[in-house]
Amino acid sequence: MQKLLMPGLLLTVIVAAALLAPVLPLPDPVRQDVGARLAGPSLAHWAGQDEYGRDVLARLVWGARVSLSVAFAASFLAAIAGMFLGVLGGYFRGLVELATVRAAEVVLCFPPLLLALLVVTLLGPGADTLIFCLAILFAPGFARVAYAETLATRNLDYVTAQTSLGTPTVRILMRTLLPNIAAPLIVQFSLTIAAALLLESGLSFLGLGVVPPAPSWGLMIRSARATMEQAPLLLVWPCLALSGTVLILNLLCDRLRDVLDPRGSRARPGFLRTLAALPSKRATSMPTASGLLSVRGLTLEAPGPHGPIPVVRGVEFDVAPGETVAIVGESGSGKTLTGLAIMGLLPPAISVVSGEIVLSSRSGQQLDILRLREREIRALRGGDIAMVFQDPSSSLNPLHRTGSPIAESLRAHGNPGHRVTELLRRVGLPDPSRAARAYPHELSGGQRQRVMIATAIANHPRLLVADEPTTALDVTVQAQILDLLSDLKRSDQGMGMIFVSHNLAVVSEIADRVVVMYAGQVVEQGPAAEVFAHPHHPYTAALIASTPEDDIDRLATIAGAVPQPWALPQGCSFAPRCGHATPGCESQAPELFRHGERRAARCLRWREFA
Amino acid sequence: MLSFAARRLAVAALLVWAVASLVFLVIHLIPGDPAELLLAQGGVAPDPDSVAALREKLGLDQPLWVQYRDHLASLLHADFGLSMVDEHPIGAEIALRLPRTLELVGLAGLLATLIGLPLGILAALTIGRLPDRILSAAAGLALSVPVFVVGTLAVLVLAQQLHWVPAGGYVPLAKDPLRHFILVLMPAATIALGLAAAVLRVTRSAVLEVLERDHVRAAQARGLPPVTIVRRHVLRNALMPVVTVLALHLGSLLGGTVLVEFVFNYPGLSGYLVRAVEARDYPEVTAIVLVISALFVLLNLLIDLCYVLIDPRVRHG
Repeated sequence: MQKLLMPGLLLTVIVAAALLAPVLPLPDPVRQDVGARLAGPSLAHWAGQDEYGRDVLARLVWGARVSLSVAFAASFLAAIAGMFLGVLGGYFRGLVELATVRAAEVVLCFPPLLLALLVVTLLGPGADTLIFCLAILFAPGFARVAYAETLATRNLDYVTAQTSLGTPTVRILMRTLLPNIAAPLIVQFSLTIAAALLLESGLSFLGLGVVPPAPSWGLMIRSARATMEQAPLLLVWPCLALSGTVLILNLLCDRLRDVLDPRGSRARPGFLRTLAALPSKRATSMPTASGLLSVRGLTLEAPGPHGPIPVVRGVEFDVAPGETVAIVGESGSGKTLTGLAIMGLLPPAISVVSGEIVLSSRSGQQLDILRLREREIRALRGGDIAMVFQDPSSSLNPLHRTGSPIAESLRAHGNPGHRVTELLRRVGLPDPSRAARAYPHELSGGQRQRVMIATAIANHPRLLVADEPTTALDVTVQAQILDLLSDLKRSDQGMGMIFVSHNLAVVSEIADRVVVMYAGQVVEQGPAAEVFAHPHHPYTAALIASTPEDDIDRLATIAGAVPQPWALPQGCSFAPRCGHATPGCESQAPELFRHGERRAARCLRWREFA
Repeated sequence: MLSFAARRLAVAALLVWAVASLVFLVIHLIPGDPAELLLAQGGVAPDPDSVAALREKLGLDQPLWVQYRDHLASLLHADFGLSMVDEHPIGAEIALRLPRTLELVGLAGLLATLIGLPLGILAALTIGRLPDRILSAAAGLALSVPVFVVGTLAVLVLAQQLHWVPAGGYVPLAKDPLRHFILVLMPAATIALGLAAAVLRVTRSAVLEVLERDHVRAAQARGLPPVTIVRRHVLRNALMPVVTVLALHLGSLLGGTVLVEFVFNYPGLSGYLVRAVEARDYPEVTAIVLVISALFVLLNLLIDLCYVLIDPRVRHG
């Protein structure tokens, strides 16, 4: 709101000056004094006198009155007419829409100034003509806004529900439409005033708008042109006044849009990041990866209205070469962010608080991904570590042929680009050389995901991060993609895989080990078969119970919802939903209890379940 | 691809027909006797004899559908009739002046794209930092100064004060290529300033929007260097919204020529239009408005065909 203060204040001053022109102690703007023609600034005439000796300052203020009232009246009429047409068209649709909204849009087929000139030819110049034709010109803009909002409001679930309950639609529409439409309308209105001001002054400048001797900024610029050699300042004042007012209006518009629609003001895209997530440490304190990858104490934060919110809290797990580790959890558990952190591809809003992600690279080095600079991680991405994303249709550039990302990946890591067809054959695409020349929209979802997998495995990665790779696909295709992934694992012995999923049935097919996440924490981990057979954490047990199986008709659900990261319970995060919770669970946050070589659970009562 | 072009061509033809009909209808839509309106001067009722004469001259005494039929028929023969004031053939005058306006519009569009596009990309890639702040503020300023103010001030400073360039006018290319170019460049650069600012803004927001798309993140996950990602995966994708918004600005671009040709005393189509409006020569005005509107439709068609070059989905869809 503070951003609106400055332009708002300036606009108020201009509007106030225009409104108060008759009472301000200014000379008569049309009184001529030919003796003092083109006189420079003086005490009596602060901005000098024009070619008829009239006071320039008075003409500027009165000009604001004329220009702004024409612009405001035209915008107001346009808003009323446009809204009427738009709501009518959006409400009745069909023929009425054709007769209102679509008919109004015909006006948009003309360059606006031309239509204005056509009307001026017929009606002759003058302020009334101007208001009339500007209103016609700007009404379609309002009609569009009103039409779009009416349509959107009509289709809201809430409105549909109200309609089915028998509330008169007109009343619902008015009640829900008005608050919804207010924001875009205010923006459209201030945009229109600026545009009307420009057109009015343009027409007056051509001598086809406001008729002399009434002062208008456009008209003042027009007449000052004749004497610009003798009195250049005469030209500068109205130019400044006009441009300044339009600038303030535009500024107000931009700020208004930012305030009304916060999505517009965006952060720096993560793509432009160049620095490491965390400052580097001494080499000696760096843990070594037991096998391929070690994640230690990974803690991530997202910005919130009341300070940062922890979204991933102290996550730890390891991946051995050739091992498939599944990260399982409901949405909001932090599993995808963990996967992205390993790629160094966290969204810009997410900040790394602490932790290490140590990868033993192909060259034999131990690299902490959180402390590498962007340039250093880039060498790993697509090389040592590769990723397959959830939605193959948005992950492929629609403008490039499908062979292109694979070739890019190969070349980026110094490999010859001719293996594209071979890789497409490897992921099971029929007629791979034709597929390489196809555009993404010509392939099915499953085929696109095969292309993404081919891109990921192009440089024989040591670690493949697959983030819900089957979620966006049909069930039958899911199975094929899973088969492909296990097949790739078999043939490429050393490749480790992190498989992020919310689907336990899928995980049980592919995973060697399981890491269960809840509310940003690891709550249980262990070998897949053991965890599925004997879960040690009530949450894991509940997840398994809620997995649909062919032979069971009943489906258990977990009561309640994942706690919001800004409202985490004091004790165990799962306690409010847990059937086994004791008073101790609600006061004391459990740590991750390890037992045996490979199992761990974050539960005070795990021994009772084990 | 061919069916797409054919469809767009049909829509364009339909639009031109709609515009021709609208131009025809405007005179009848406005309340009052058209002939009387055209002859009225400051509220004084015109002489009934001259009203009747004008009505006959413009064919306004015929039934509406006959007028409409004749109007369309003569347009099909590219016959725009005679001027009301001095009876010169309007079509010939338009044919003489249209290429000059086209040259102006083309040069302005080219300049605006050459300046706006790279600067918009630069602003997006340096978002929030100094280059972006300067460019965004400059674009906001350039968009706020009306085109005739820019032109008038340019004449004041560059021609009157500094004597670097002539204040305006026109010299045929064959006569003096350099002077011709300078005389076209001044008005073209004036239009291009505002247009470049618009292009810069759209390019900036389009690039920023594309940078957040999944396929850019996927390209990062392949380990591509930023330069390659911008070149291959951002620019062409960002071009679609830029082209769309350019199309939306065409109207103000063509409108801008009216003002700029007046400022620089450039003998193009728009200057002709202003003179015709001043003389309230209705046949001239409708003919020119129709030609410029048809040009507007044609440019929109060209832009639609640009989509085909950019996006394979349009080509196949």
